[in-house]
Amino acid sequence: MQSSRQGKVVRALIVVWTGAILIFLYLPMLSVVMASFTKQRYFQFPVKMWDTRWYEKAFESLSVRDLFWTSFSIATLVTVISVVMAFFGALAFARYDWKGRKLYQRLILLPIFFPQAVLGLALLLWFSSLGVTTSWHTAVFSHLIWILPIVTLIMSIQVYSFDPVWEEAAYDLGASRLQVLREITLPILSPGIVSGAIFAFLLSWGNFPLSLFTTGADQTIPEWLYSKMVSGYTPMVPTLGSLTIGGAAGIVILSFVILNFYRKLRGRR
Amino acid sequence: MNGSPSVFLALREITKQFGDFSALDDVNLQISEGEFFTLVGPSGSGKTTLIRILVGMESPTSGEIHLKGNTINDLPANKRPTCMVFQNLALFPHKTVGQNVEFAMKIAGVDSQTRQKRALELLELLRLPLDFYDKNINQCSGGERQRIALARALAFDPEILFFDEPLSALDFRLRKTLEKELKDIHRETGKTFVYITHSLEEAMVMSDRIGILNEGKLIQIGSPDDIYNRPKNKFVAQFMGEVNTIAVDRIGQSRVRDSKTGGEFDLDSQAQEIDSGFLIIRPEVMKIGRSAQFMPNRIEGVLFNDYALGSRIQYQVRSADGENHWLIERLQDDPFSGNAGDSVVIGWRPEDSILVDQ
Repeated sequence: MQSSRQGKVVRALIVVWTGAILIFLYLPMLSVVMASFTKQRYFQFPVKMWDTRWYEKAFESLSVRDLFWTSFSIATLVTVISVVMAFFGALAFARYDWKGRKLYQRLILLPIFFPQAVLGLALLLWFSSLGVTTSWHTAVFSHLIWILPIVTLIMSIQVYSFDPVWEEAAYDLGASRLQVLREITLPILSPGIVSGAIFAFLLSWGNFPLSLFTTGADQTIPEWLYSKMVSGYTPMVPTLGSLTIGGAAGIVILSFVILNFYRKLRGRR
Repeated sequence: MNGSPSVFLALREITKQFGDFSALDDVNLQISEGEFFTLVGPSGSGKTTLIRILVGMESPTSGEIHLKGNTINDLPANKRPTCMVFQNLALFPHKTVGQNVEFAMKIAGVDSQTRQKRALELLELLRLPLDFYDKNINQCSGGERQRIALARALAFDPEILFFDEPLSALDFRLRKTLEKELKDIHRETGKTFVYITHSLEEAMVMSDRIGILNEGKLIQIGSPDDIYNRPKNKFVAQFMGEVNTIAVDRIGQSRVRDSKTGGEFDLDSQAQEIDSGFLIIRPEVMKIGRSAQFMPNRIEGVLFNDYALGSRIQYQVRSADGENHWLIERLQDDPFSGNAGDSVVIGWRPEDSILVDQ
C-alpha cells in the first residue's frame, strides 16, 4: 500500500516537473505567436481582439521578401559548404588516427566558445582591413566559422559508430574507392549528415550577432527584428518572428518525413 | 615455374616488418587448388598480418605471392580474385540480407534478376530460409549472420576464400555445428579455403592441412594427423591443449632421464634423434592406478584432485614435494576410485610418448 502510494506521488511529481519545463521552454514562443495575432499595436495579455492582417501584410511586403531571401541564401550556402567540409572534417576527427589529431580535435571546437559578438567584431575588422566590402556573402563566411565546428562535432558522433571494416569488406568484394563511398560510407553516415545539415541551416537562419557585424548593407530577418524592436515597433515584428519559428519547425518536420520515407523505401527493397 | 602444376597459391619468403618488429619472418607456403588449409597461431603470431597480405590489404616488406603462377603482389584487394570472411563478419548494416549477398554481383554489373536468382541459390546452399532475402541484417542471429557472410563471399565467386577466425565470437555448441557445416560447404563448392584461427582443435575438425605459426615463423605444416601425432617441437605439442611435458636428456638409443628428478623412462623405437628435449604424454594415454602398475614407465605421486570434463574425467597427480604435476584422463564410465591425498602410481607405454625438440 505504502509503496504504491509513494509510486503515485513520484509519478505525479514527474508529470508536474516535465510540464513546468515545457511551459518554461515554450511559453515565450507562444506569446510571440499570440502577439502576432493581436489587433492592438502593443501586446497585452489576455488578447482581446484577434487579427490576421499583419500576416497578410508580411506576405505582400517586398522588404519582407528581401529579408527572407537574404536569410535563406545565407543559410542554404552555409549548409551546403559546412556539410561538405564537416563530412571530411568529421572523418579526420573520429575515423583516422593521425599525428596531431588530438590538437585538431581541440582547436576545431574552440570557435564555438568565442563570444559571437567578439567574433563578429573581429571579422568585421579583418574584412575592412583587407578591403572586403561586407554583404551577405561575407556573412556566409562568418557563419561558417561558428557553425562548421558544431556540424563537425555532430557528424563525428555518427562517424565514431562507423566500423571501417565495412569499407574494407566492400573493397575486398571488388568495389572501387568511389563505389565504397557511394554504397557504404555515405549511406551509413547519412543520418549524421542530415542532422548536421539541419543544425547548420537552423543555426544560420536564427543567427543574430554574427550577421549584425558582417552583413553590411544587407539585412537578415533576426537583424530586422532587432532594429524594429529598437525603433518603430509594429505587430509585424512578432508576425515575422512567428513565421521564422514556423519555417524552422517546418524544416525539422520535413527532414524527419524525408528520412522516414527513405528508411521505409530501403527496408522494402 | 612453380615446380608442380597443382600449386595454386604460393608464398615465397614473405617477410613483414613493422619498424623493428618482425611480424612475419621468411614464410614459405604452397597451397593446392580445392584445399582447406588452416593457419593456426596464438595472438601475435602474425597470422592476421599474413591473411591481410594474402587478401591485399597490406603488402609484404619482401617476398612474393603467386596465384596460378602469376605474381599478385601489386594487385590491390579490389582487383584480386580472392575475398575474405571477416572476423566480425562486416555485414553491411544498412542493407538487407539479399542486398548483402548480391553486393559483389552489383559491383560487377550483373543485372538484378540474375543477382536475385544467384542470391536465393546461395541462401539455399547455406540452409537459410528463402524469406531471409528481405530481412534486415540486425534481425539475424549469430549463426545466421555467419551463413550470410559466407554467402556474400561465395557470391563473389573467388578463386580463394579467406577466413579470419569468423567463428571465434560464437558459443561452443554453435561453433561446433558451424565448423562441420563449413567443411561440408567446402566439399560442396570445391573452392580453395584458407582459414586462420587460434584454435588448433577447430583447425583439426575442418582442415586438409594445417600450418602452425609462432612469432612470425611457420613452424610446422602437415595434415591434422601429422600435427597431432608427430608434433615438431614443444610449442606445437602444447598448442593442442593440456599435455604432460617432462624435460629429459637422452642416455641411450631408447632411454631418457628426467633432467629434474633423475627418473628413467623407455622411449618409442621411432623417437626422433634428439639429445635433450621434452617427453610429451597426452592425458588420455596416461594410466593411473592398477592399469599403470605394469607399464614400463612409471611415476609415483599423490592424487590431488579430479575434474569432470563431460565425456571424460581428468585427474591431477602431484609429486610428493609438489614440484611437478601430471594429468590423467579416463572415460567417465570408467572412473578411478581414489581419494584426494592417496598415493598413486601413474604410467604410460613407450609408444604413447613423443620426444620433441625445445
